[in-house]
Amino acid sequence: MATDISVIGLFPDEQKTAAVIEAMSGYPWLIDRVHSPFPSHKIFDALKLKKSPVGWFTLAGGILGFFTGFSLAIYTALEWKLIIWGKPIIAWIPFVIVGFEFTILFSVLGNVLGLLALGGLPDFKGLKQYDPRCSGGHFGIVATCTEEEQDQVIEFFQNQGGEVTIFE
Amino acid sequence: MSESPQLTYAEIDRTILDTLRPPTGGYWLAIMALIMGVLLGVACWVYQIFIGIGAGGQNIPVAWGTYLINFVFWVGIAHSGTLISAILHLMRAGWRNPIARAAETMTVFAVSIAGLFPFIHLGRVWLVYYMLPYPNQRYLWPNFQSPLVFDVVAISTYLIVSSLFWYTGLVPDLAAVRDKATGVRKKIFTILSLGWTGKHEQWRHYTRGYLFFAALATPLVISVHSVVSWDFALSVVPGWHSTIFAPYFVAGAIHSGLAMVLTLLIPLRKIFRYERIVTMKILEAVAKTIIFTGLIVGYAYGVEYFLAWYSHSAVEIEAFRWRALGDYSLEFWIMVVCNSLVPLLFFFKRVRTSIPWLLGISILINIGMWYERFVIIVGSVAHGFMPHAWGLYRPSGIEYGIMLGSFSLFFLFFLLFVKHLPSISMTEMKETLDLGESHGD
Repeated sequence: MATDISVIGLFPDEQKTAAVIEAMSGYPWLIDRVHSPFPSHKIFDALKLKKSPVGWFTLAGGILGFFTGFSLAIYTALEWKLIIWGKPIIAWIPFVIVGFEFTILFSVLGNVLGLLALGGLPDFKGLKQYDPRCSGGHFGIVATCTEEEQDQVIEFFQNQGGEVTIFE
Repeated sequence: MSESPQLTYAEIDRTILDTLRPPTGGYWLAIMALIMGVLLGVACWVYQIFIGIGAGGQNIPVAWGTYLINFVFWVGIAHSGTLISAILHLMRAGWRNPIARAAETMTVFAVSIAGLFPFIHLGRVWLVYYMLPYPNQRYLWPNFQSPLVFDVVAISTYLIVSSLFWYTGLVPDLAAVRDKATGVRKKIFTILSLGWTGKHEQWRHYTRGYLFFAALATPLVISVHSVVSWDFALSVVPGWHSTIFAPYFVAGAIHSGLAMVLTLLIPLRKIFRYERIVTMKILEAVAKTIIFTGLIVGYAYGVEYFLAWYSHSAVEIEAFRWRALGDYSLEFWIMVVCNSLVPLLFFFKRVRTSIPWLLGISILINIGMWYERFVIIVGSVAHGFMPHAWGLYRPSGIEYGIMLGSFSLFFLFFLLFVKHLPSISMTEMKETLDLGESHGD
């Protein structure tokens, strides 16, 4: 079954959009994506989305940063030994500060990397099948369907009070 | 408090995007004046590079003067951006939404300017690469046990993290500007917005990632000013060697940052007609937070005196007696009055709901916080252990020039920002619109 037609239904209301998504579950068309001007938990719930795995990137970055910070401080202390009053060269307490800052830095870098990788950014091709009103005050539900189902999808969106655009 | 009917998505877009229209002559005049200020600062710095660090007024015993004062001042200003963006985000305080973007922007610019001062203070600025840990023929490495190297690590981390936090928050708004723009402007914003389309998969990861950003920025902001305070507290200088310094500096930083938020937002609100977005209720919330931070700062001033008395250390007692009654007593009393007493006026509703009072008090706190750094930094080394080594310090004209340059650069960056990027987050305003929180209600 060819599913090469995308039909977007535009709605001016968050609540209504969530209701339409729920109503679509009884139909054979697939919801490809939903555009919104802000993150909507009502829409997330209607789509039954799972928690994002971006935290694993953050955690991996944090672990890497923790060991990088400590390793850097220890390595440099061993390379250039400043022996004062017989105190140990590897001074754990001040190195905690370096380790901590690197942990935060690498966690954030991991977080950004996760956001870009999972969110598919940068994505300039995606703009070809996008209605710019979705960054203003409209919510867009993009359904993919076959050519035969196209009229039914359009009718469905219109019956729900949506404005329809077709992307080839 | 509902001052006017509920905002709409279209009204939010219109109000905020209208600020990006071509500016008037007054704007360019202000830009020109600020560029002149920046050039003056640059000229003073270049002069100092050629003449030597002695062109500034620092000398033994006061080797740390306005360059360090301004460094601590600007790092402090940078703190409220993260407080408002990260900590209040985690606490779900809806009143932060209209002011978070301006505060985050202030953070990025203030940290960048703070980062310039160690370079200026270095004198031989071309040797700054000594601070970088890289393999070299001298087998010389930075000493990671030194608080000054902690500073390099902490400030660099803070600059990178706050810039990424700011940019991440901007991406959906950049997409909104792109969708309304035409021509070259559209192309620029298409690249800047990374092709963001606000699809549910993007938002799903974005909301989670933003939460982690806030959770990571919160301990970072506390660590950064603690590290700055240890530049002083880890020495044995009377007036510096105190365990209270880290929380004292963090509270002071947030105090000054909140005051700067008011100083910037009040004119911005008037010029861009943001009255329906940045409501009086929001300004009042900032004023109430200033009462809280002002009380902590006042408490810290008192505790310093108590600790000096309780220590029975003659040197410590003398250092604090001299602070209040000695050569820098005027600076000390400006600090106490502006930071601890004047903010108490915000207890009166009539004061904290009056624009002239809010602006006036915020400026006084900024002045007071600058003098706080003067009193701590100069006041301690000028009157240390040995009476024969006591000495006084006044900034030189070169230092004043560089300071003027730094303030001009900060306001120049901010003016350029407000006319080229959305100065209020449209996304966050829309997100909490139905809850009434973006009104601060």
